[in-house]
Amino acid sequence: MATIELAPAQIQVLQVLTILLFAPLVSGGIAHLEARLQGRRGPRTLQPYYDLAKLFRKETLVPEDASWVFVVGPMVAFMCYLVVPMLIPVLTTFPLPLGYMGDILGGGFILALAGFAVALAAAETGGPYAQLGSSRAMTFGALIEPSILFITFTVALITTTDLPYFEAAAARSSLSQAIRPAHLLVALAFFLVVLNDTGRIPVETHASTLEFGMIDEARTLEHSGPLFALLKWGSAMKQMILYVLLVNVFVAPWGLAGSRSLGAVLLAIVALIGKALAVGAIFTVIDNSFSKLRLFKITEFMAAAFLLAILAVLVLDLGGG
Amino acid sequence: MVVVPPVPSSFSGGTEAIALVVLLTEFAMLRAPTARSQIRLYAFQSLAVSALAVFVAATQHIDELYVLAALSFVLKVVVVPGIVLRLLRGTRADLAGSNRFGVATMVLVAIGISVFGFFVVGNLSVHSHSLPAPAFGLATAVILVAFLLVILRSDVVSQAVGFFSLENGVSMASLVIAAGIPLIVEVAFLFDLMVAVVVFGVLMRVHHGRGRTLSTEALDRLRG
Amino acid sequence: MGWALLVIMTAPFAVSVVCYFAPVQICRGLTLASGVLTFVLAVLLVPAKTTTALSGWLRVDALSIVFLIAVAFLYAVTAVFAIGYVLPAGGNGSAARYNRRFFAGLNLFAWSMAMAPLVNGLALLWVAIEVTTVVSALLVAIDDTDSATEAAWKYLLIASMGLGIALFATIVMYYAGSSVFGGSYELFYPKLLGVAGHFAPEVVRFSFVLAVLGYGTKMGLVPVHTWLPDAHSEAPTPISAMLSGSLLAVSFYAILRFYQVTVRAIGSTFPRNVLLAFGVASLVLAALYLARQRDLKRLFAYSSVEHMGVLAIGMSFSAPIAVVGVLLHVLAHAAAKGTAFFGAGSVLRKFGTKDMSRIRGGIGALPWSGPMLVLAVLGLCAMPPFGIFRSEFLIVSGGLADPRDVVAAVLIVGVTLAMLGLSWFTSQTMLTPSPEGVVRGETSVWIVVSMVIGLAALTLLGVHPPGQLSDLLHRAAGELGARP
Repeated sequence: MATIELAPAQIQVLQVLTILLFAPLVSGGIAHLEARLQGRRGPRTLQPYYDLAKLFRKETLVPEDASWVFVVGPMVAFMCYLVVPMLIPVLTTFPLPLGYMGDILGGGFILALAGFAVALAAAETGGPYAQLGSSRAMTFGALIEPSILFITFTVALITTTDLPYFEAAAARSSLSQAIRPAHLLVALAFFLVVLNDTGRIPVETHASTLEFGMIDEARTLEHSGPLFALLKWGSAMKQMILYVLLVNVFVAPWGLAGSRSLGAVLLAIVALIGKALAVGAIFTVIDNSFSKLRLFKITEFMAAAFLLAILAVLVLDLGGG
Repeated sequence: MVVVPPVPSSFSGGTEAIALVVLLTEFAMLRAPTARSQIRLYAFQSLAVSALAVFVAATQHIDELYVLAALSFVLKVVVVPGIVLRLLRGTRADLAGSNRFGVATMVLVAIGISVFGFFVVGNLSVHSHSLPAPAFGLATAVILVAFLLVILRSDVVSQAVGFFSLENGVSMASLVIAAGIPLIVEVAFLFDLMVAVVVFGVLMRVHHGRGRTLSTEALDRLRG
Repeated sequence: MGWALLVIMTAPFAVSVVCYFAPVQICRGLTLASGVLTFVLAVLLVPAKTTTALSGWLRVDALSIVFLIAVAFLYAVTAVFAIGYVLPAGGNGSAARYNRRFFAGLNLFAWSMAMAPLVNGLALLWVAIEVTTVVSALLVAIDDTDSATEAAWKYLLIASMGLGIALFATIVMYYAGSSVFGGSYELFYPKLLGVAGHFAPEVVRFSFVLAVLGYGTKMGLVPVHTWLPDAHSEAPTPISAMLSGSLLAVSFYAILRFYQVTVRAIGSTFPRNVLLAFGVASLVLAALYLARQRDLKRLFAYSSVEHMGVLAIGMSFSAPIAVVGVLLHVLAHAAAKGTAFFGAGSVLRKFGTKDMSRIRGGIGALPWSGPMLVLAVLGLCAMPPFGIFRSEFLIVSGGLADPRDVVAAVLIVGVTLAMLGLSWFTSQTMLTPSPEGVVRGETSVWIVVSMVIGLAALTLLGVHPPGQLSDLLHRAAGELGARP
């Protein structure tokens, strides 16, 4: 039986489709698991799909003073989230043609653009909580930037490139590469960054809408209908993208397709969903074990992430590491 | 032309990771909110240093180090934290307010000082058979951050733990560059420090007894 | 003469243990006996060549003997003073307990300070000095007041951190040596000095700076001296005398041992510069602070910092005569500072306070110890015919021969500033008319006797140091690398 080979372009499109279609599944799975851990029955795993379908049927309400930014913001964000999966190792171990379009910095830039568009749309509305959320999101985003930069530097120092594919390859290559201190540190630092960017404990309460503590959640308060659906879908996709980065680049870069055969790629999709759900489970456990940090103590969290990232670079500089 | 730093061996990487844990514990002490957590962090740090001693003993075939590792485990992980916790039993005092600056600021200053330490030590080009050379830089950073802990936190428990963790840093440094130091000398160091620990404990108790507080804020009577 | 070392190692320790349980009168007598015995043995060791005992674990050469004499002399004289100063108490009450603990502590403290010059090797040296820290911290706190507890905490914390650095320095020096000796060896002095020329220079430099920082904390060098004024003023006066006169000297001895090895390894320029920096800082800062002191013992504590600065500056001069002066200064300072503190104790007993604004008419109230205190202060100001004049004269003449003779000028200015501070105190408290209500008379004859002995020694050192002592000083200077 001949193995069906997919063209690189097809695999690239498949990467985007995987993230697009399965992100709500991961979201739903995490919500379900969280409810189970708390002793409730919880929503069904496919609930986010139903929510999105419902939202697309509803009408859009736009505040009087908002301009076109309010409408365009969610769309820009969604499009960014469609672009990023082309740049990162979602399904394959080898870089795909458009994968050289952007490195880690480029991918980070696009993600930041998405966040900026959402924040701008929220600030536009004039609603107090939306503005609060967007300003907080921008501030804390700026504070986590140094950590992301130093993570990039570490990857660059280890592999002399800043393409995530090569870092994954390095981590896969041998045990000594996997347990070297720089790699452990950078994985932990990135874990903290993901905690921050997906709005989980200890930075923000994911499950409820406590206005005084909301950062990311508050930005979407004023949107409705299809725009809100785009925002929710986008945020689920962002979560999955970050999980993909964490798992496929730093922590567990196995299970990716080594060749272009259809079987390997399908296997990679399944493995990816499994790994994303596992990461989600870990985050859920953290959710239930720790409490949210008070807002001004979030800087401690940022400082911890920065400490880990900068130590990764220093340890490499000291020699070996 | 960028030079890729060589990949360390598994043993090197593993022990360096433990040395890193020692340094990270030191950073965690900067923000410990209660006396008990401060002391538990110290016990954990001593455990990591004892583990390093066992690794060095195993790979360098220095049997004396097994004895030293066992002694330091018993004394620094079990006895000293036990003594200090018992001395603090009567106190309900909690350390949360004793930072002179915010935690994030202290961490940043500590990072700065560690970088200074790394550069100073880097010029020495330390070669070691027992542990990877970066561990020496990490040990120096532990010593410097311990100083910071003593200077920037104004309660007696943090200051005492700062001194104890300084000794952990020196132990780790000695594992890197002086692993073969005669056992008698090492044991003398250890017991000497234990006596100092007991005296520290007594003075902590006396201090608490006088002022009903673990804070050193009131210790400004003698000036000039 | 190895037996002498063994006796010095055991006698004060044994007496300390006995004192903890024995009746108070026996404590006092035994302490005095032990002090005199230690001093006699130290004097007997003066003409001897390098002596070892306990298969090399104990070793004295000329340098050790100099510091051993400083410790032993002050031990003996302080024992006399303490008998007069510490109020006697019989029976088993709290006063008697204080007495017993005090004398046990004093003996243990003296024992630990005597051990430091006795032990062979940098590692055991560290152990001995750590023991001195621990014992003296408990002694500083023995008076159990709020300020004593505060001073003891500060002292223990800062001194222990400093000794942690000193331990680091010892280990780095061990590493330097391991390039020659391999993995496992003892840090004995003869071994180190023999091969120091082959040590890696940067490592030795690093070790020396750490050693000066670490042991300098215990010596009272600025900027790590901050514990000193508090501890020396809050401790009981006999302990203050020993702290200032002996303990600072012993810490200096530790630095000198590192200096000895460093000079053999990398030459003397770098160590001298390091010592110069710390010395000038200590001298200038102490001289400036002296002027604003209100507390009697704190004043003398800052004077100690100043003299430690003089010692460090003296070592930074390349002329051998300066090194001889430094070693003589150690002895003279022990005698002078001890006597000064004894006088302060006498004043304290008489007037009940250390606050200088409340003390007037010392000479009138204390017919013997008053004038002797004035003489001791003059001695500290380097007036002839006292020993400190001779030692500082030697140091300055060494400094003027140095290419950088501006340092000698700084030294003279600093010492003069200190003199101004001290003489202001003297005139204010001692040379004013006596207030009413103060009964003229000494509190205890023992105090007077101790001061007489101290002044006599100081004068002897200044007028005509015994020939064998001079010879000892020259030999010790030779061991430090200075060939006179």
